[in-house]
Amino acid sequence: MSERRIPRRGFQIAIVLTLLFNLLALLVMIHTTPILFTLFMFVGQPLFVLALALLVGAVVADLREKQLL
Amino acid sequence: MRPWAAVAAVISLLRPVALWAAEEGVPPPHGWIGTTSEWIRGFGIAFALLNLFLLWMAWRSLARTGITPITRGWLLVAIGLVPLMVAFLSFAHGLESSATVSACGSCHVMTPFVQDLHNVKSDTLAATHFKNRYIRENQCYTCHSDYGLAGTFKAKFEGLGHVWRYTTGLYELPIKINQPYPNLRCLECHGESQKFLNSEGHPKEDMRSLMDGSVSCITCHGPVHPEQKKAAMR
Repeated sequence: MSERRIPRRGFQIAIVLTLLFNLLALLVMIHTTPILFTLFMFVGQPLFVLALALLVGAVVADLREKQLL
Repeated sequence: MRPWAAVAAVISLLRPVALWAAEEGVPPPHGWIGTTSEWIRGFGIAFALLNLFLLWMAWRSLARTGITPITRGWLLVAIGLVPLMVAFLSFAHGLESSATVSACGSCHVMTPFVQDLHNVKSDTLAATHFKNRYIRENQCYTCHSDYGLAGTFKAKFEGLGHVWRYTTGLYELPIKINQPYPNLRCLECHGESQKFLNSEGHPKEDMRSLMDGSVSCITCHGPVHPEQKKAAMR
């Protein structure tokens, strides 16, 4: 795997994780039940945090590749 | 499109969403535009849909042009900024909605209790408080959580336990309260009322034992909820 593909893969995974988080959030807002809200809190939000970490990681890797960092 | 026209368009789109959840019954006053929580829900749905679009744009830009400044912009907005709003709005909505009677009634083991609340002929303490709106909203949560911030945290953690036991089946029927009901929850509303203080049923010599909880309010004012078996037979 080339160095150039690493940040791209990271971005793609971050998009998918944010999508899952977003769908859970949408479900909570359309039809809230305690179980859905618990899922959102303990699954959805960690997914989003992971996506953010991946985004930051991918940006840092991208900048390093271009020797800007 | 001019900015004011765009704002008006967004409001006209969100208004039906905000009013969608409005309760039936007494008509709203003139100029009613919904409650704060309805607007939070409306904006939350709008932001979540916007975020789906942004994620799609970011994915498409990444696939077509690779990591360009434009793609970085889409990614920053779609993963870094808009989801923060979605997280905040859905958390606020979820937290408030999880305190409603319908949220408590969403677990089938609570159905007899909620049915009793809605039964206008019921004379249980809970139904009396509900049908006369002695407690305006979130009646289950109001009576089953202690007051103040610590009470809210405790109630949320207990609610988490309820969700766990319900989904895993680790509960026993009939459902029972897990600790003696504290008088302080009654006294928070009734303690300062003249009707309570001057009632013949609450003589001065008994007041201390009511205040310190050595005599439970529901000893005399029960039953609070219908007996499980009786409710199941309805």
